[in-house]
Amino acid sequence: MLSFKLIAMFWALSRLIRMADQTYTVASDGETSAEDISKLIPTELAIGMDIGTSKCSVAIWNGSRVELLRNTRNQKLIRSYVLFKDEMLPSGGVSAEVPHGDPEILSGSAVFNMKRLIGRIDTDPVVHACKTLPFMVQTLDIGVRPFIAALVNNVWRSTTPEEVLAIFLVELKVMAELQLKRPIQNAVLTIPVSFNRFQLARIERACAMAGINVFRLMPEPTAVALLYAQQQQQSMHENMGSGIEKVALIFSMGAGYCDIAITATAGGVSQIKALLGIPLGGEDLLQNILRYLLPDFERVCSNHSLENIKSMALLRIAAQNAIHKLSSQTSVEINVDLGDGSKISRSLTRAEFEEVNDEVFVECEKLIAQCLLDAKLTAEDLNDVILVGGCSSIPKIRSLVLGLCKKRDSYKGIDSLEAAVHGAALEGAIASGINNSSGSLDLLTIQATPLSLGIRVDGDGFAPIIHRNTAVPSRKEMLFTTAHDNQTEALIVVYEGESKKAGENNILGYFKITGIPSAPKGSAEICVCMDIDASNILRVYAGAFLLGTQQAVSPFLEVRMPTIDDGHGWCGQALVNMYGSTMDLATIPKKV
Amino acid sequence: MIIRAIMVPNCGNGSICPSPTTTNLPFAGSTGHGRLVSMAMLRPRLLEQRSASRLASRPPAAAGDVGTIGELSTTTESFYELLGIPVSGSHDDIKRAYKQLARKYHPDVSPPDRTEEYTQRFILVQEAYETLSDPECRALYDRYLARGLHYALSARRRFGEELEEKSGWKNRWQDQLVELKRRSTTRNSEDNLSWGARMRKRWAESLAD
Repeated sequence: MLSFKLIAMFWALSRLIRMADQTYTVASDGETSAEDISKLIPTELAIGMDIGTSKCSVAIWNGSRVELLRNTRNQKLIRSYVLFKDEMLPSGGVSAEVPHGDPEILSGSAVFNMKRLIGRIDTDPVVHACKTLPFMVQTLDIGVRPFIAALVNNVWRSTTPEEVLAIFLVELKVMAELQLKRPIQNAVLTIPVSFNRFQLARIERACAMAGINVFRLMPEPTAVALLYAQQQQQSMHENMGSGIEKVALIFSMGAGYCDIAITATAGGVSQIKALLGIPLGGEDLLQNILRYLLPDFERVCSNHSLENIKSMALLRIAAQNAIHKLSSQTSVEINVDLGDGSKISRSLTRAEFEEVNDEVFVECEKLIAQCLLDAKLTAEDLNDVILVGGCSSIPKIRSLVLGLCKKRDSYKGIDSLEAAVHGAALEGAIASGINNSSGSLDLLTIQATPLSLGIRVDGDGFAPIIHRNTAVPSRKEMLFTTAHDNQTEALIVVYEGESKKAGENNILGYFKITGIPSAPKGSAEICVCMDIDASNILRVYAGAFLLGTQQAVSPFLEVRMPTIDDGHGWCGQALVNMYGSTMDLATIPKKV
Repeated sequence: MIIRAIMVPNCGNGSICPSPTTTNLPFAGSTGHGRLVSMAMLRPRLLEQRSASRLASRPPAAAGDVGTIGELSTTTESFYELLGIPVSGSHDDIKRAYKQLARKYHPDVSPPDRTEEYTQRFILVQEAYETLSDPECRALYDRYLARGLHYALSARRRFGEELEEKSGWKNRWQDQLVELKRRSTTRNSEDNLSWGARMRKRWAESLAD
């Protein structure tokens, strides 16, 4: 149904549209964001999309409530994969009339877990964990994008995570268009909390390839928070209650990511108090079990022979089923013939499952404790605990979350698998300016930045300028000074992350300020300002002041981030190799 | 003037924009949580602290060059005025006022033609709320206000950070975090490895052979 040509066409088209936008922008007032444009041009209602590591869903506000769309097989939750076949066009789980079975999806011909791969470099542990998947993930560990390929007609054909995601998005888009009988342009997509700005840019690129205008990228648990806010407001109306503030912790764990948000909601306004996430999910639990069942697992996967792919697929299916069953029973029998003469025949208990995945559970506990710390709250402050995502049905996960939050039970009234897409569709309606007479869209979420943003200083130090969990939109600034006597140029290297070492954070871009007044080190003043606007676009302004004044030496530089693309892992080191510390910035010591 | 033009690039119309850099402290004073900065051993001297001392020694007339910028001028407006509440307002009053103003100024709900202007305003409201909703910061701010230096809320971050260290919630959770980290490290040590880690180790060793 869809070819690469079509994708290319979509891409070309969307670029044309973008160019048109830019022209429009310049003509109007120099700084109109994409969002403003979509507000100015009469647009249609944005749909909500939840692109999960394992499953996707699409929903829309139908005028009175949110409705989930179904694929041709009447499914609301659609498996995320794209199958590549010779001479046939690649197809995902959306449009296939006949469902692809697990053996086909795990044959090496299908690419899945795109969300774990997109925007990551080949030194990333998450990419390395993907090397045991049936399709090919090749890493050379030099800080570039990994090589990904699907088996087509006995040949490994290369592709990219963005391309795969774009094909899948086109299918979702077409599915929605057929059902809603109108073209779809705008969408609100949910994203993992831990995604950096580089990954967000890749998601946007995949959307552009699919002809989808990204209205908002919404961290998954904040989409759930929006749904919670709506429900709270409705129950307030019913009970004629005053605007009592309700605080909820949302724990969202799917196949690929574990995310937490703490939200305080009253009168339809939700503040995201803290956001925290890590790339840890059901896929990690599964891999640990695979390794437990077959200690040789990684070695068997690494050679990518047809026989091994087939036997690993059988093992994967068996392990997956076993994990699902262990949510409701305490022991499960595993009988799988690997086809190469070896057989795995044993029982797996829930206790074993929990022991094998102990590390994962400890990580989850740490995440919750840290998130409460960030929000400056204790378990007693929480009114509700909301568990969502595929892993929320795992007894150990439930008990650890509820235990740490000191709650007997989790919040009822939210579907754990549909909550995120529900929230995305609500946001789509709100951001599209839809008003509802019943007031059920009378909602506002004040988002927070999930990662700190700052610059490199004092060698490899990191000076955060906008800290994580700062309410957005936001604008913060800080003064810095020179590291050397008579230094007239300085590099502003922008990073995102929580490490005190800049090099361990994610580099977003860099630029140079010139014309710093000649002075002894530590006396010149360089101002760096960071601005996150309503569309979550990050701009960095920087310039030097004349000595002893707050008059700029020359016009400031304004740089939209991220500025770098592939090979970004190298840039920071390349700058150090080239310039050493000659253009370093230093922090200004506090006057005591 | 140069800075002003640059720092407020989102404004189509300069006459309705505040000048966040020169003397307009709510902008300058928003350098984030001092706690994290100090933890990072970076010790940057925050702009807010500098500006505060400068402002204090500055002739009062200097404030006028910002005060003329119209509706959004903030140098003469206290955080209480910004939120539209009396100085005696309760914590709940502050919260209510903040949420009410957020509903007006937040870019998600503001009229599209005034998004830029309202976004600036939202950031100020946010700053006011963050200051006044923290009892220690508010007490400090009130002291400044009484001396007519309310725009020099400068030192509050530094001050706030010390108070924050002392307060109970942090210690409690920090203990728990330390405990969790200790648990995970002891488990990883020696033969007490978790299953996954043991397997990875064995796999790594088999590769080395």
